[in-house]
Amino acid sequence: MIRFALLLLLAWAGPGRAQELPLVAALSQNAVEVTTGFTGTSLMVFGSTEGPIGPGGDEVLVVARGPTRPVVVRRKVPVLGVIWVNGPSARFAGVPGFYFLAGTRPAWQVLPEEERQRNGLGLDSLPLTSTGARSPAFRAALLELESDSGLWVEDPAPVEIAGSRLFHARLPLPAAVPTGDYQVEVLLVRSRRIVARQALAFRVDRVGTADRIATVAADQPFLYGLSCILFAALAGWLGSVLFRRG
Amino acid sequence: MQVYLPIAEMSVDAFLLVGIGFGVGWLSGLFGVGGGFLLTPLLILIGIPSPVAVASGANQTLGASVSGLIAQWRRGNVDAKMGGVLLVGGVLGSLAGVQLFALLRRIGQVDLAVSVFYVVVLGTVGGLMVMESVRAILRRRTATKRKLHEHFWMHGLPLKMRFRRSRLYISIIPPFAVGFGIGVLSAVMGVGGGFMLVPAMIYFLGMPTSVVIGTSLFQVVFVAANVTMLQAVQLGTVDILLTMLLLLGGVAGAQFGASMGTRLRGEETRALLGLLVLSVAMSLLWGLLRRPANLFSSGPAL
Repeated sequence: MIRFALLLLLAWAGPGRAQELPLVAALSQNAVEVTTGFTGTSLMVFGSTEGPIGPGGDEVLVVARGPTRPVVVRRKVPVLGVIWVNGPSARFAGVPGFYFLAGTRPAWQVLPEEERQRNGLGLDSLPLTSTGARSPAFRAALLELESDSGLWVEDPAPVEIAGSRLFHARLPLPAAVPTGDYQVEVLLVRSRRIVARQALAFRVDRVGTADRIATVAADQPFLYGLSCILFAALAGWLGSVLFRRG
Repeated sequence: MQVYLPIAEMSVDAFLLVGIGFGVGWLSGLFGVGGGFLLTPLLILIGIPSPVAVASGANQTLGASVSGLIAQWRRGNVDAKMGGVLLVGGVLGSLAGVQLFALLRRIGQVDLAVSVFYVVVLGTVGGLMVMESVRAILRRRTATKRKLHEHFWMHGLPLKMRFRRSRLYISIIPPFAVGFGIGVLSAVMGVGGGFMLVPAMIYFLGMPTSVVIGTSLFQVVFVAANVTMLQAVQLGTVDILLTMLLLLGGVAGAQFGASMGTRLRGEETRALLGLLVLSVAMSLLWGLLRRPANLFSSGPAL
């Protein structure tokens, strides 16, 4: 399917137009549906460039960011030297719920440091501002926790090159991926400068039963609570009927 | 088979949940308690966030207790008047408990509070049960007769009421207080409280054993319903899909457990239940004392 899509793109960005656009990119899907059977999925980012990419040529970087939310990071401290209790905490505003970065080569190798920091390319250059505990350990812990959950990914595998002008990268979305709008940016780097960029977007939405449950729970909590009670009572009653003397 | 829980926002193996429901249901049928005290820690253990585990645990307890209540009601083993007094206390207690829970969540101490409540309550109840049943097993040989019930300070309290089914004429303050306490605990721990309520009714209120199980189920069903509603409205943490999967295993397991329970003797059953309660308390205590693998944890800011 990917190969077919690549061919299609090649045909579309063929001789006539490729000369005008230094970079053309697209996503394999514009919407990800989270159903009750959702266990994670992956998207394909693919495209073509005007000039040759790879060793000796241009480089391609792909960065994706999910919706942001505030996060609290807490550190456990021993109270009286015995019981471990949540102690100091730092509150980070605007933490991306998903972050992905990959390139034909790592971003820190192809861009000057200040350029990379300014564009937020790399987990260490995410603009995370915190209030509360000052220690840099909290920021490091946040990075570690998010990376462990698979929601923050940096350079899992290089962006793959086919035929020196086509590239594609797999964007893994784990089951815990937050819902909302995602921005994907594809950057073309030539001689340590960003020469072209294309912004893409996709949405992660709950659909079907999962969506209906979450919507009702959020919008009509009283109705939701009532139906939880009734459903549970009904299940209990059904059980007693089914298994009577059974 | 993986299933995505819409409120917990995570993917869990459905068979694992049904299996946990079955196991807990089996034990609860065997011992005649709701089993919430086992369920909530198990859910937290498999990675369900504590607030969702507590709220959904209360919801599942409600379902699991309904079938027991129907059976007991049919046999006339429910003292509705006593249940009503316990319930008024229970509803007020769970109101207070949910406020306490919301406060704990804001200051980030839910996990600690849930663990400490479990260790203290389960440790005490489990220890008492084991001691009492061992003493009863030993006493069986000597067979001294106990007085039906003894008079102590509690019987001097005002606001007396006659409870015909329980053959009691006591003040409504003790049952109200018992109900209130259990209500608070059930909101914070996500349990129905049957394992605390049953001993409290027998030893503290002096109710006859025949009506204790039915009346405690009566209280548990309504308090669990109240907790479910409060958690759903105030915190939005009840996951109905999680509840349903647990109930699916639970109602079946409870029947097998109940049929096996009839073959065990009372004292042995109580000793086993006490040991089970104690071991849950010990494992949670170990979780508090052990140096955590990762000192840091993150959560949504409220």
